[in-house]
Amino acid sequence: MDLGLYIAATGMVAEQTRQDQLTNDLANASTPGYKPDHTPQRSFGEMLLSNTANGQPVGTIDMGVQLGSTVTDMTPAGMHDTGQPLDFGIVGPGFFAVKTAQGVRYTRDGQFSASATGQLVDQAGNQVLDQQGKPITVGAGGQVAGSALGVFEVPKAVKQGENLYSGSASGKGTGSVRQGALEESGVDAAKAMVDMIGSMRTYQSGQQAIQAIDQTLQAASTQVGSLSAPG
Amino acid sequence: MLEGLYAAAAGMSAQQEQLDAISNDLANVSTTGYKAQRVGFEDLLYNQVNQAGTSTTTGAGALAGIIGRDGAQGSLQQTGRPLDIAIEGEGYFQVKLPSGQTSLTRNGALSLDGQGHLVTSDGSLLDPPITLPAKVSAAEVSIASDGTVSAGVTKLGQIQLVTVAAPDKLLADGHGGFTTTAASGAAKAAGTVQIQQGVLEGSNVDMGTEMATMMSTQRNYQLASSAIKTQDQMLAIANQLRSS
Repeated sequence: MDLGLYIAATGMVAEQTRQDQLTNDLANASTPGYKPDHTPQRSFGEMLLSNTANGQPVGTIDMGVQLGSTVTDMTPAGMHDTGQPLDFGIVGPGFFAVKTAQGVRYTRDGQFSASATGQLVDQAGNQVLDQQGKPITVGAGGQVAGSALGVFEVPKAVKQGENLYSGSASGKGTGSVRQGALEESGVDAAKAMVDMIGSMRTYQSGQQAIQAIDQTLQAASTQVGSLSAPG
Repeated sequence: MLEGLYAAAAGMSAQQEQLDAISNDLANVSTTGYKAQRVGFEDLLYNQVNQAGTSTTTGAGALAGIIGRDGAQGSLQQTGRPLDIAIEGEGYFQVKLPSGQTSLTRNGALSLDGQGHLVTSDGSLLDPPITLPAKVSAAEVSIASDGTVSAGVTKLGQIQLVTVAAPDKLLADGHGGFTTTAASGAAKAAGTVQIQQGVLEGSNVDMGTEMATMMSTQRNYQLASSAIKTQDQMLAIANQLRSS
């Protein structure tokens, strides 16, 4: 009987994770090249119930909700023209590569600038790499042609913060680079808000289920075996 | 469980940063030689929870900061004053602040001080200094496009332009000027010198863009604040589990 308590609780835990991801998506509604996260929910394995007296199967019961692995939705978002000569966006799939102290990392945020030594760098000062993996020199007048930047395909890119992804590149990405534009955040604000409300109500349903089961348990523990009528 | 609240709050403070930059740009829409700020956003660290066969990641919000300035040329405004000069293209005037520090500026509203030196609007001397002889008035000064300052046929000096490798990383000194930093590189002579006399360079702030960014910033601030509200409601629901 108390199984129901735990089944309802797994649903609440799953909704909490979903809510945290939606919050992060909304917090990054202005982050260039940001990609929203989704975590699929599926049911735990079913359990076969049997009659304790004669061992006859009664039927199956679901054990609640289990979270799958988080998936980042890499769908390219729209471009937003900024007119800045060192802003770049990738139209279509692919990543820019930057050289960090931890090795090469990938990003879709092309908000770059020039370094003191005249090379193209990202916000953290990491060098942006061309298709051959070499740094790019900012030309006369502070310009860099979009075609000078490398675009890489990274099949299993994993987010690590600061707009960077770790992973290993497998050749050239199919996207093309546009100068003077940034990719918008991939967050759909309206959808995220609706999901958020839905998730909160599902969470509330979990709470109601727990309370209902709790009341049943309370009745069992206080009223069963009592001689006087309850009240 | 409270992480979500903080992630949403981080999102709000990032939008606040953007709004501050917009306010500053709008306040300087008429400042001679002002360059609009560029704001960069990034996501924060991800928390990864590994359970049997699956891994769930949740992010910690967003961060914003000013990453540099828009290098675009401001519109040139004709003033007719002989000591108003504007730079076309790259470069900065180098001036010596009263404190002795060197500063770079694009504000070419020059005037004469008591000793006949050419000074910027806040009283800083051009570096190298240019002095007008006592008998020469400001109206007789002509400044050629290469920076040569002369009165009639007498050459009085040369206005030099400097530039740095990374103008984005110059530090604003609060007097309309900039100081060099390690990230910007040291000041060096500009490749091309193109100066116009009788003209000032206006602010390069574009009102339309600023207003549009302000609206989207406000909406995104609101979204992050709704996220806080929802997170709070969920915590309230969790707290009410034992209320019956």
